[in-house]
Amino acid sequence: MSGIVARQILALCAVALLPAIGEAFYFRDKIPWQTPVAASEYATLAMAESWGDDLIWVDARTDAEYSAGHVPGAFSLNEDRWNELLPHMLERWAPGKKVLVYCSSQSCNLSRAVAHRLRTEVQIPDVYILQGGWEEWLKAHPK
Amino acid sequence: MKSHFAFAILFGFISTIAHAELKWDQTTLELHPGFGDKEAVGHFKYQNVGKTAVKLTSVKASCGCTVPTWKKDEVDPGEKGEITATFSIGNRVGTQVKTVSVQTDEPSSQPTVLTLKAVLPEGITLVPSFVYWKVGEKAAGKTILVTAGKDYLAKKIEVQTSNPQFGATVEPVKGGGSWKILVTPLQTERSGSAVITVKTDFPKDSPGVFYANASVAGGLPGQGPTSVPRQ
Repeated sequence: MSGIVARQILALCAVALLPAIGEAFYFRDKIPWQTPVAASEYATLAMAESWGDDLIWVDARTDAEYSAGHVPGAFSLNEDRWNELLPHMLERWAPGKKVLVYCSSQSCNLSRAVAHRLRTEVQIPDVYILQGGWEEWLKAHPK
Repeated sequence: MKSHFAFAILFGFISTIAHAELKWDQTTLELHPGFGDKEAVGHFKYQNVGKTAVKLTSVKASCGCTVPTWKKDEVDPGEKGEITATFSIGNRVGTQVKTVSVQTDEPSSQPTVLTLKAVLPEGITLVPSFVYWKVGEKAAGKTILVTAGKDYLAKKIEVQTSNPQFGATVEPVKGGGSWKILVTPLQTERSGSAVITVKTDFPKDSPGVFYANASVAGGLPGQGPTSVPRQ
């Protein structure tokens, strides 16, 4: 009897695994946000503030969100207008500077995608993602 | 007795799914927009197969680049409809996966997640897309490798720089489908930057345009960047 139950449990587990296998197959292409972000790619607000003038802030949110409020001095760089916005940020970049990308913590795939492109396409070093995003900055700098 | 319990769980799970009133044709769509397309549009069709009206209480996209639209909030029994998800491609590259979460007033219903997968066509890639020199570094040329994607049938490219302080020349790579752009600054004593515009001859009716950047960066303390306005 216990053998039957064990087989049934195994069968149920196998059935439960099917959607996961299907999803893994369907989304097999490499997509930036699928790859877990390594802890070393994040920076905290405290780290950012200790970098002082060696830091360039990059706001990966939409134009509307950027217009509504952003970290002082932050450059807007989103994938809607990547080609247009990127040169403005690169004009201020210099070797040795760190780049910190943030978006809303509610939709933080945006900063991952922007940071990924800065590292792989533009190939600049020291690109980080702000832990907690815009909301974290707001918490530390209430209006 | 235990085996009956296991089957009861399984049947309970299946019957929960079976009672859902809004039935979707597909909850995942894969789109393949063409070169130059500005957006990709997915149509998620549904039918209310239940006996009571279903109300869409919330329809939210995962990002601002995807806009869901639908004709009416209340779906009568037997009625068909669709949620149209319009994804603005912008300057995105690669495969993009966006979702739309749909919540209804069905009792104890979980949100339905509609997934739009847009496989964007691969134009040309520029590696790296940014070359730079430190102030004072030797003004030697640096190379950007341009490679056309599998279906991108460009035969030649032309380059232009936005700042005459930077020169750019193109040289095809043997075998076709790739080129080398040699970027050289006239001087590296002062900082400056340029946008390098790469024009292709494909597609014929709307040739692709791609961008790289070059800069002389850094400098002594107090020596700010002296950018030249771009065209």
